[in-house]
Amino acid sequence: MIRREAVEVVANSLTSKDIAVSANGFISRDLHEAKDRTMNFYMIGSMGLASSIGLGLAIKNSKRRVYIFDGDGNILMNLGSIVTIGSLKPKNLIHIVFDNSAHESTGGQPTNSAQVKIDMLAKAANYKVFRVNSKIKLESILKKIKNMSGPIFVLVKIEKNKYVSRRIEMEPTLIKTRFMKAISR
Amino acid sequence: MKEEIQRSVFDYLSEKGIENFVGVPDSTLKHFVDQGLKKKRTTITTREEEAIGIATGMSLSNSSSLVFMQNAGFANSLSTITSLVQMYQIPIIFLIGWRGYLKNDAPEHTKIGTIQPKLISTLGLESKILTDGNWKKTCDWALNKIKRGKFCALVIRREFVD
Repeated sequence: MIRREAVEVVANSLTSKDIAVSANGFISRDLHEAKDRTMNFYMIGSMGLASSIGLGLAIKNSKRRVYIFDGDGNILMNLGSIVTIGSLKPKNLIHIVFDNSAHESTGGQPTNSAQVKIDMLAKAANYKVFRVNSKIKLESILKKIKNMSGPIFVLVKIEKNKYVSRRIEMEPTLIKTRFMKAISR
Repeated sequence: MKEEIQRSVFDYLSEKGIENFVGVPDSTLKHFVDQGLKKKRTTITTREEEAIGIATGMSLSNSSSLVFMQNAGFANSLSTITSLVQMYQIPIIFLIGWRGYLKNDAPEHTKIGTIQPKLISTLGLESKILTDGNWKKTCDWALNKIKRGKFCALVIRREFVD
């Protein structure tokens, strides 16, 4: 499974009420290309902070589920975030990490997620943890967690691939206003 | 800044609609932070960028946020301020403790303490110094900014050495 496919599987599992926030780089582009929704907050820049923004959203929108589309390089840059999430324990937070052990957006340089298991760190931080490496398993876990309370961590092992989704042409302030309007309904 | 004034600053901002206080503790701001912890309105994070991220998620949910930090942490946050707060125009009040304001502060604060005013103005971040004398008026200025969807910074000088 490659990143673009895995992002699409998760995106297709979202209900119309779910909030999504996606990490900068190719992951945001993938989500935008696979399933653009007004309730998606695409991060451009600020590497590492998708999970923190997701936490703020989860705390303030307790009736909605918040899906964080994160990458291994991204979460490794803000590991403290899993400690804060694990101590506040938002029930509606679902943290999906697409893990190819690489910084694919910057040319495929390695991360250390092959040496240190990020999902075990999440487990120590009070998340319910799942690890999947195929499309079928990912689909089945996404169904399984629908009625489960969080924080939930799904590590999705993916392969490196050259496919790059198209750029997001929307102005950042438009991404924001469209998103704010959608979640306030 | 005096302890009772710091506590009043917290209570005033809280009464006037700031719902979330997120950040990394600083000794210059300790009574402000303590007041928030007492009132169960404060979230302590591991780093300042993380605090800005959480406050952003809250602000996107139409819930007003303040992020507190020492100026060392403000330096950590430069990229987050330019590429998140300024790029998306996220309304947040930054409350920054100014270490290195006194010439005889600890050595690690000397450089950042000296360049801080220039750093804030280079960023294009509107800011005011919060003092025992002007705090109410200055808080009103910041509250007015956030109501209009803008971000700004309030700075408290470290006027003692321990």
